[in-house]
Amino acid sequence: MNETALLTEGLSKSFGTQAAVSELNLRIQPGAVYGFLGRNGAGKTTTMRMLLGLVRPTKGSARVLELDPTREMELMRILERVAFVPQRKQLYGWATPAELVRMNKAYFPRWSDDAAARLAQRLEIPMKMAFKKLSIGNQSKVALLLALAQGAEVLILDEPTAGLDPVMVDEILRTLIEDHVSQGRTIFVSSHHLGEVEQICDWVGILEEGRLLLESRLEEIRQEFRLVIASGEGLPTAQSTDVVSATTDGRFRRFVVAREAERFAADLRSQGAAILEISPIGLRELFLHLVRKEDACTPGNVGAKPAPVSSFS
Amino acid sequence: MYAWKCWRETRASFIFLLMLSTVPALLVTLGPGLKERNGWWHFDRSEYTHDPTLMVHLVSGMILTVLLLSPFLSAVFLGATSSGSEIEPGTIEYLWTRPRTRASVTWTHWGVCLAEMAMIAVVPTYLAAAILGTLTRNWNMPLLMIAPWIMFIAGVPMLGLTTLMTALRRSAKGGLIYTAAVGSVYLILRQIVTVPLHLNLPTLFAGPLVWLVSNNQPYAAAFPWGSLWRAVFLAAAFPLAAQYLLKRTEV
Repeated sequence: MNETALLTEGLSKSFGTQAAVSELNLRIQPGAVYGFLGRNGAGKTTTMRMLLGLVRPTKGSARVLELDPTREMELMRILERVAFVPQRKQLYGWATPAELVRMNKAYFPRWSDDAAARLAQRLEIPMKMAFKKLSIGNQSKVALLLALAQGAEVLILDEPTAGLDPVMVDEILRTLIEDHVSQGRTIFVSSHHLGEVEQICDWVGILEEGRLLLESRLEEIRQEFRLVIASGEGLPTAQSTDVVSATTDGRFRRFVVAREAERFAADLRSQGAAILEISPIGLRELFLHLVRKEDACTPGNVGAKPAPVSSFS
Repeated sequence: MYAWKCWRETRASFIFLLMLSTVPALLVTLGPGLKERNGWWHFDRSEYTHDPTLMVHLVSGMILTVLLLSPFLSAVFLGATSSGSEIEPGTIEYLWTRPRTRASVTWTHWGVCLAEMAMIAVVPTYLAAAILGTLTRNWNMPLLMIAPWIMFIAGVPMLGLTTLMTALRRSAKGGLIYTAAVGSVYLILRQIVTVPLHLNLPTLFAGPLVWLVSNNQPYAAAFPWGSLWRAVFLAAAFPLAAQYLLKRTEV
């Protein structure tokens, strides 16, 4: 598989004057597990919908498995090979999960009855009860079952674990890792649960107001990204592309630096700053630093141009 | 499989509409023979055999009168279950991420509804005709033989109109309201224009149905072929417009 699993180039979508997604550039290789993060309304769902032909881009282009979702015939080939779990896991209320399985399998040549039966048992889904009578958690599980048993090459999951209890979240993540990640399938997942993302993803992209603020390997964030806390007068807002974020907290200034944090700290010292801390930064902390709005002063922050992806990869 | 889903979703409406048509048709067919005797019902078959030709003529007219609205009702209720109705509740995301074109979804639903509408038109009429023929021993009833197909043809444009309105309003309820509004506005405008100006406008597409019930003698007046062709045109045009609209709809 040499093809790119998901590719967007300058992908943009506006609803009236409201830009939902702006100039989004993504290149996701086959086998990647990509966590697509952002606050509510950041543009994650719109991006996923554009990849599946539910929404047409205003500008730019998207490719899924090298196919164009805006062309109907190519979209049909995409939909045969891609599974989608939408944010609103709404299925036909009158149908039982067993009926939904029968209905769904007719659409997909690579459907696995074994996988469906295994998942139904593992996720403890009541297969004979009408969908509308199921709890929200069970409804989510049915939507996941239908997507995971499809035998898809790419899984696009929009907040797949919303409404599930921790035990079920763990089951879902284990299923994803055992049945999909281990088989080299691509997963493009949005979630507000950063712990889950850290558990399964190898790449993350952080989106805010339709713009990609950061894209990086999770491993690189763990190994290279540092939080530098400094105090002093006249500290810079951002002085290199390595500074992902700079926020003010009282007398202190917090910098998130993508690489060479020690050199950056040395530069600050040379300007008379006192360095209070240089520490590794977790995904949650990085996310909060990037999307907080109180100090829109760095390339990564809201209202400014996004940091070039190349500087992080 | 989508056809099965359409059937499952329309099954309750179909059974309701079928009963709503069949029960009154059977009642008016058996009505002339039902008499009260000694405080209980008694069926007097001789009512049908005195003058079988007259009886067939009278009962056929009554059957057509009670079935007159059934093609429109069935078209509107079934059309409101088309794929546009899935946008508001959110199931459309599931439907439109299956590898089936939106056009095939639209036309599959249309085909299933056509079959159901044909059943709703044919079953009560032919059942009533069979009973009437048996009771009178007069099987010469051309009016009842062609009636279901004329009712069916008159209903098909309404099915398309409701499908289009449902796609436009993105919900079943909105589709029903808009279809009723379009139908009402058309009838009111038609009255406003025709009465003061003393115009004799032909009916848009219900001509064959009017011909059927107003004559009660199908061979007495000329068949309104123009209205029939307009019905056929609208029967194709409305779902095509719905298909075009749904293809461009974003969810």
